[in-house]
Amino acid sequence: MLRRSVVLLLTIFLANCGEPSTKVAIPFVPVFGTRILDCDNAGSAVQLTDLRLYVSNVQLITRSGELVDVRLDVDGRWQQPDLALLDFEDGSGACANGTSDTSMSLRGFAERADYRGLQFTLGVPFQRNHADPLQAEVPLGDPAMHWHWRGGYKFLRAGIRTDDDGFWIHLGSTGCEGTVRNITACRSPNRVTVRLDEFVPGIDTVAIDLEALLTDTDLVDGVANDCSSGPAEESCEAPFRALGLDLHDGNARDQQLVFRRKVAN
Amino acid sequence: MNRAAALLIGLLLLAAGFWLWMQGRSYDWSIDPTLPRPSVPLDNPMSEVKIELGRLLFYDTRLSLNNTMSCASCHIQALAFTDGKPRSIGATGEIHPRSSMTLVNAAYASRLTWANPLLDRLEDQALTPMFGEEPVEMGMAGREDAIVELVRLDSRYAELMPEAFPGDLDPYSVLNVIRSIAAFVRTIISYDAPYDHYMQGDENAIDDSAKRGMELFFSERLECFHCHGGFNFTDSTTHANSTVDRIGYHNTGLYNTDGNGAYPMDNTGLYDMTGQRRDMGRFKAPTLRNIGVTGPYMHDGSVASLDAAISHYERGGRLLEAGPYAGDGRRSPFKSEFVRGFELSDDERSDLIAFLESLTDNNVLREPKFSNPFSD
Repeated sequence: MLRRSVVLLLTIFLANCGEPSTKVAIPFVPVFGTRILDCDNAGSAVQLTDLRLYVSNVQLITRSGELVDVRLDVDGRWQQPDLALLDFEDGSGACANGTSDTSMSLRGFAERADYRGLQFTLGVPFQRNHADPLQAEVPLGDPAMHWHWRGGYKFLRAGIRTDDDGFWIHLGSTGCEGTVRNITACRSPNRVTVRLDEFVPGIDTVAIDLEALLTDTDLVDGVANDCSSGPAEESCEAPFRALGLDLHDGNARDQQLVFRRKVAN
Repeated sequence: MNRAAALLIGLLLLAAGFWLWMQGRSYDWSIDPTLPRPSVPLDNPMSEVKIELGRLLFYDTRLSLNNTMSCASCHIQALAFTDGKPRSIGATGEIHPRSSMTLVNAAYASRLTWANPLLDRLEDQALTPMFGEEPVEMGMAGREDAIVELVRLDSRYAELMPEAFPGDLDPYSVLNVIRSIAAFVRTIISYDAPYDHYMQGDENAIDDSAKRGMELFFSERLECFHCHGGFNFTDSTTHANSTVDRIGYHNTGLYNTDGNGAYPMDNTGLYDMTGQRRDMGRFKAPTLRNIGVTGPYMHDGSVASLDAAISHYERGGRLLEAGPYAGDGRRSPFKSEFVRGFELSDDERSDLIAFLESLTDNNVLREPKFSNPFSD
């Protein structure tokens, strides 16, 4: 008993001291091409109506290509150690149904190293995605993010408005089998692995480019389309392509084009 | 010492579990003894006070973003808890792709809504009308605090919530609001139609025309009962003593917009949930209880009357000659093998309608326990 405790303590000690860790902050910014988007930029041709997303499996990539986990700070509102909700809408302007609080960066710790890349998953890990939303811990359980009728969370909810047009998308797993709280598998997981080479933490920013998301989406026909990840939704095809996803099986097909490294000015 | 404490905790948990189980069992459903009890989730046992609370919440328009609509706006008692519209309209005016379903005997539905195989509990289903955004129904997404505030501050709710959830340290939660509404809806049970009285031995409960219609309904010639069978006239039925999960989804040949069986893209049924081509246009066969008052019919309210619904099945699928959804549903490759078509004489048609109307339970349409408590 005593010996086991000593070994355990030693292990913890070594784990903490062997790899000195450093604070990591990874800021995100929503853009439309080169313009920065927000809810309240009146007079701008494009306004944000919503942008909230779940990010998990955050890892930094060393110069030699090694993946290192980022342990996110548990803040009781936005982050679990391996899952975060990013929220760019503040309820103002065009963001009609939002809330005033926002979270625009990932905050955590990683071992000290020379990093030249970032990787994360857009989405909630399977088990937590399908656990009972009414019992979930933050940042899950938010009814605006839970997709009750699809049995999981909206990994991404994003929308923009132009003069007489607009678009919104809800991305999440579809084709799930089982029943709510007892989902066994999903035909279309619709999780996106984002890898940004050359990303330098502490210097660079992650741009979320809604213009890239909406390439090939008609924003001038005066009909505001939407996409709720359904297999029959034609309006999902273009944004799914931009996310590198196959609309019909929900797996990665190409590189995603929506998230990119934004070099500090 | 530790072992004794663990044993004690174990026993306490066992006792608590048994108490909860007894709570669930001890509720008096006051339904016909030949009718099976509905199944009730272990974590939401039935109680009179919870049902009373749920009834208030069901009729409370403060559960919508602009105080214009309650659950009852789309589920009107006199219409067997449907709304009489082809497609329902949300608090912000958005038109739902689907027609409001009856809540009568929802307690016996093995799956809820028109085509969602994931939803097997009223507690889970109730979240969508309240918080859903595609389309907006009651529009409470992002307004959870307002719901908690309502039940905490309103004097009636403030009193009832702790009584309905005596084990909770803080009973004022969205979860408990949902649980209460689900408990109320579970009590809306219909088993008192003229048809039921006839089946229980009252020969005069339905007339000869309805009796002939009943023969037709249960005939291999018409095939109605294959999907609309059992005590609840649907093949998606469950109850407390069920051992198998019975679920049926069927394409009835209502649409065939591309010659390959496609349905209108905003209403593809089970296909939207599974992404499997064979599920195109498959919807749940709803209960036929009170079908005489729940028109217009089908998942999108596109069939105006019982007569038109019978014509659709008589033809073995619907032909739409023009318009955006033109096509011959009879030739859909996804159509159920039970929708084969038949021929009916005028007399047989009115007999069948007489039978379907004998499934209307006027008591459930008027029962004061289910009525609007705010207009008492």
